[in-house]
Amino acid sequence: MAQFEELKQAIIDGKAPVAKELTDKMLKEGVRPGEFFPKAIIPAMDEVGRRMRECEFFIPEVLIAARAARASSDILRPLLVGADAMVAAGIVVCGTVKGDLHDIGKNIVAMMLESAGFKIVDLGVDVTAEKIVDAVRQNNANLVAMSALLTTTMVNMKGVVEALTAAGLRDKVKIMVGGAPVTDAWAHSIGADGYGKDAPAAVELARQLVAV
Amino acid sequence: MMSSRERVRLALEHQEPDCLPLDLGATTVTGMHVDTVYRLRQTLDLDAPGTPVKVIEPFQMLGEIKPDLQNALAIDTARVCGSGTHFGFPLEGWKEWTTFGGTPALVPAGFNTQPEPNGDLLLYPQGDRSAPASGRMPRGGFYFDAIVRQAPGNEEPRVEDNLEEFTVFSDQEVEYYRRSTEELYTQTDKALVLNVGGVSLGDIARVPGMGLKRPRGIRGIEDWYMSLSTRRDHIYKIFEGQTEINLVNLEKLHAAVGERVAVAYLTGADFGTQNGPLISPQTYRNLFLPFHKRVNDWVHQNTTWKTLMHSCGSIWALLDDFISAGFDIINPVQCSAAHMNPFDLKRKFGSRITFWGGGVDTQSTLPFGSPQEVRSEVCERIRAFGPGGGFVFNAVHNIQALVPAENVLTMYRTAREYGRYPLRLESAA
Repeated sequence: MAQFEELKQAIIDGKAPVAKELTDKMLKEGVRPGEFFPKAIIPAMDEVGRRMRECEFFIPEVLIAARAARASSDILRPLLVGADAMVAAGIVVCGTVKGDLHDIGKNIVAMMLESAGFKIVDLGVDVTAEKIVDAVRQNNANLVAMSALLTTTMVNMKGVVEALTAAGLRDKVKIMVGGAPVTDAWAHSIGADGYGKDAPAAVELARQLVAV
Repeated sequence: MMSSRERVRLALEHQEPDCLPLDLGATTVTGMHVDTVYRLRQTLDLDAPGTPVKVIEPFQMLGEIKPDLQNALAIDTARVCGSGTHFGFPLEGWKEWTTFGGTPALVPAGFNTQPEPNGDLLLYPQGDRSAPASGRMPRGGFYFDAIVRQAPGNEEPRVEDNLEEFTVFSDQEVEYYRRSTEELYTQTDKALVLNVGGVSLGDIARVPGMGLKRPRGIRGIEDWYMSLSTRRDHIYKIFEGQTEINLVNLEKLHAAVGERVAVAYLTGADFGTQNGPLISPQTYRNLFLPFHKRVNDWVHQNTTWKTLMHSCGSIWALLDDFISAGFDIINPVQCSAAHMNPFDLKRKFGSRITFWGGGVDTQSTLPFGSPQEVRSEVCERIRAFGPGGGFVFNAVHNIQALVPAENVLTMYRTAREYGRYPLRLESAA
């Protein structure tokens, strides 16, 4: 449908007002809320991810596109109930670990995961292991995504893995980690299930982890 | 044995001095966290236990590198800076304070904090607790992060709102620089690095305006980055205004310090992420390069200073542009980022820019590695960057808290031992 293509393009181009207006218009014309993600938002953010990987899009373009995606998804989210309920690709508890206040990378990952159809429980920054454990339990999450920017705080990721294990939840969640000082080797050394080097990689990883 | 000043001069001229020049603390991006300074000073027996260390930069909680520590590590450089801080209070009126790590410290009188119920610490602009806090240190943390205090409804920001904190230096401030330069130049043989506040365009550390009580304009970090794309003309005008002020200040400083400084540290804005450039090369060329070039041209036409640019991250794709903009020196040389192999960097750019940093991986080896791993990596970096000069040794960015003192000592001792020219690294680890 041409209008889905138009919405997809508005998101890629970062035109939030256009994305909002189109979403409203299409809903009024009877388009089902559940169609927007698979036909416009997810393909748009997949394209944004591709352009990031190809170094055509950089942080400013990604943030603008994510803002436009949110302009559409904010309208849709309350409507995705009943017959229009979307089966989430997964339920992700995400946050920046304890002692760390950096969140731009985590926010981009959360936005891209949401645009890829995941339900996001974003705990923000400076998040304790206990808070993550509680959120996993309360939301029946099957994915945990942690971020750290500092060598002094990335060590707290290990504590989260241990806390989930102690709470008897380790086999119910997959754990993915990311952030500037984090590496694949680090992820495996602390018992995480995967490492995402950037936001598109995190989405790809999340899809793989929930498919297992 | 050459003087430190001569050693650095030759390196910056892409010639091999007697040995590799070493930096610690000449800038606010080549320093060390106060906790680690304290432990290092204790390890070297420079102080009685409990002797406090001055925090000379409260945003990153950098500790003072005093002459005795410089001499113990054979450091060739020293810092000339202004009287101010990111939080708008001056470096004076020292009072006792203890870090979360238990380090006894001295902080400026304006360093006024307030604990939150969860134990986080808030810091206030200009020391004024009646103003909204502008910095937060999480409980157990090591430095402050900016609190974004952007006023809502900011759809039509004014250019002048983002220029509020950039002002022409007062005579008093210029005298501060002059006096500091004179003391260091006459009492030491260190190569002096002039730290010029306010020249950084789009420096995300400065965007939130931590030193202002009620900042207006674009102050949010995500808003700023998006504005580089959605408000290009507006940002261009901000940079235009900032550059006019910068040029006036540089002229005043040059009149006061002359050619006694070897290097001017001009900009700390980051253009790289772990994986690639933060902005497109085209955005750099359109928005930043014209102004960087203006400033570099002025410095090169009017002084003998070399200009230093700091940019974290993967900047391979931008280095040609940084060189075109006129920068003589690049720091911190984050080799752990993508496409930043030290040998490739030296091969492609080494004849055109000096690498100041790059001495060891600070995301893994220095904090978490063994001393032997530190030693091996330092030798590898000397092999890569050292030949032909054009290399001033430093870690990659400030040495953080929790880095073992033994690793810091190993780093500098290895650089001194294996940094003698002509380089002979065959027997090195």
